[in-house]
Amino acid sequence: MAERTPSTPSSASTKAGPGRALVAIYAVFALSASARSGLQLATRASEAPVAYTLSAIAALVYIAATLGLAEVGPDPRRLAWAAVVFELVGVLTVGTLTVLDPALFPDATVWSAYGQGYGYLPLVLPFLGLGWLVRTRR
Amino acid sequence: MIEPLQTILIVASLLLAVLAGVYVALDRSPDNILVGAAGLLELGFVVQAVVGIAQVIGDDEVASPVTFIGYLLAALLVLPLGVLWSLAERSRGATSVLIVAALTTAFLVVRVMQLHG
Repeated sequence: MAERTPSTPSSASTKAGPGRALVAIYAVFALSASARSGLQLATRASEAPVAYTLSAIAALVYIAATLGLAEVGPDPRRLAWAAVVFELVGVLTVGTLTVLDPALFPDATVWSAYGQGYGYLPLVLPFLGLGWLVRTRR
Repeated sequence: MIEPLQTILIVASLLLAVLAGVYVALDRSPDNILVGAAGLLELGFVVQAVVGIAQVIGDDEVASPVTFIGYLLAALLVLPLGVLWSLAERSRGATSVLIVAALTTAFLVVRVMQLHG
């Protein structure tokens, strides 16, 4: 049985309590982004190499964030921080670029137009991740 | 593709999400009823996968067969994984994993229908 009150300073688990739901959302994004970019790169890599490479990077970032938040690996908290910060920078950069110049990426990525195609969840998610990492910090 | 099964799957997924939401609101852990409902829904996804793959192997028009089968198989994994991840801990957050899982399956059925249409 895990701690039920994540606000206590000692309970710094990122996968406990609300963190479990967050890990689940990240896992869905990790799976769908990996599957999508894997398929894109395998079947039509030459059509939009930049967009598809970016999709693959996004997929890796989501995998890293999922593993970090789920406390897998030797230093999961650092992994989670790095992944979520990268994710935030990525979605803001790619989002801004695609809004300013829609022709830049011929095919959509997860982060295009701030994740519009995914109900803006890709924009909201890194803030939830950062908030959760701060909240569970010892 | 397989009507009315897919409409039923979407509605049932959304109902499961609502039911899981009630459990979260009442601060109850998933019990046999909730897990049973997820299991029942999973049977529907097995049928969808079998019929869908059979249609692709037959000469049905599918825009992107690999993606289509990918979605059918992914839909099979979501609920079992969601149930496992939500049962591993007793907390509201853990129970709400089932909401995430149920909404994901509803979305996957919508994508499957789009790919077939």
